[in-house]
Amino acid sequence: MLDAFSRAVVSADSKGVPIGTEDLAALRQYVADANKRIDATLAITQNVSCIAADAVAGMVCENTGMTQPGGNCYPTRRMAACLRDGEIILRYVSYALLAGDASVLDDRCLNGLKETYLALGVPLSNAIRAVEIMKIATVAIMTETNTGRKMFEGINSGSGAQCKEIAAEAASYFDRVISALS
Amino acid sequence: MKSAVTTVLTVADAAGRFPSMSDIEAVKGSLDRAAARMEAAEKLAAGIDKVTADAVDAVYGKGSYDQANKDKCSRDIHHYLRLINYCLVTGGTGPLDEWGIAGMREVIRVQVLPTAAYIEAFTHIRERVCVPRDMSQQAAAEFKGLLDYLINALA
Repeated sequence: MLDAFSRAVVSADSKGVPIGTEDLAALRQYVADANKRIDATLAITQNVSCIAADAVAGMVCENTGMTQPGGNCYPTRRMAACLRDGEIILRYVSYALLAGDASVLDDRCLNGLKETYLALGVPLSNAIRAVEIMKIATVAIMTETNTGRKMFEGINSGSGAQCKEIAAEAASYFDRVISALS
Repeated sequence: MKSAVTTVLTVADAAGRFPSMSDIEAVKGSLDRAAARMEAAEKLAAGIDKVTADAVDAVYGKGSYDQANKDKCSRDIHHYLRLINYCLVTGGTGPLDEWGIAGMREVIRVQVLPTAAYIEAFTHIRERVCVPRDMSQQAAAEFKGLLDYLINALA
């Protein structure tokens, strides 16, 4: 598992040079944005079940056959598995976001996920749709552009526009999940 | 690669939980020290050749020695300093542990290398760090902490 710092170290080591001023500039940016990054992580961790449940519910609403006998979310045991997977994906996205690097998501969540779903007969298009909804919900909560109440308490909360860049980064991790399943 | 953030995430993942408030506090605590660490890393990267040459000269003194051996010695010191630079960046001892210290004892024993000379060199570097000429107080503290870690591993 790598984070933004160890990623820089691994790439410098492959060249055999110490990390100098140029590479440090990007890392200083990471440090400067630390509070926003922490807020963005909190935005996920404080709304996990809400984000995952909404996404699965949305997916089912668009394909009502799923909860009928013969559907992939019937009976509730399979629906529960679906909710659990949503939370797991969200957990690895929150790790990647805190680390500032996608390696933890790739190594521990996405590697082999598509094959597992294919083997279990999980319809990939529906799984992708659920991840898409999670992405939209997460970005909305982070940037405080969701309708209704403010969804998280953080250092910069109340000024959601500050999390815009980090929210874009979070969206890129969800996109990574989507492309791994496609 | 072990760093402040990955250590916290490994523990959280083993427990299957989201990053908790205390995880986030731990990350934040490490990032608060990051400015000093990065200053030390930057200064070390800029002066790494000079620091190496200075340390090698101090160890070899005025006597005449085989140049090839001396070159190898300075290559090794340069290597360890580079790993210290990486440790300063990650905020953990991961790079030194994984690329410097793991297996070091075996290599040193097989090749009959004089660890005392390395210790002498790093002690010299440690004592030569001048505040505020070279770096700030906090940066020097981070740098010296890692030099101590390496010296202890060699001893």
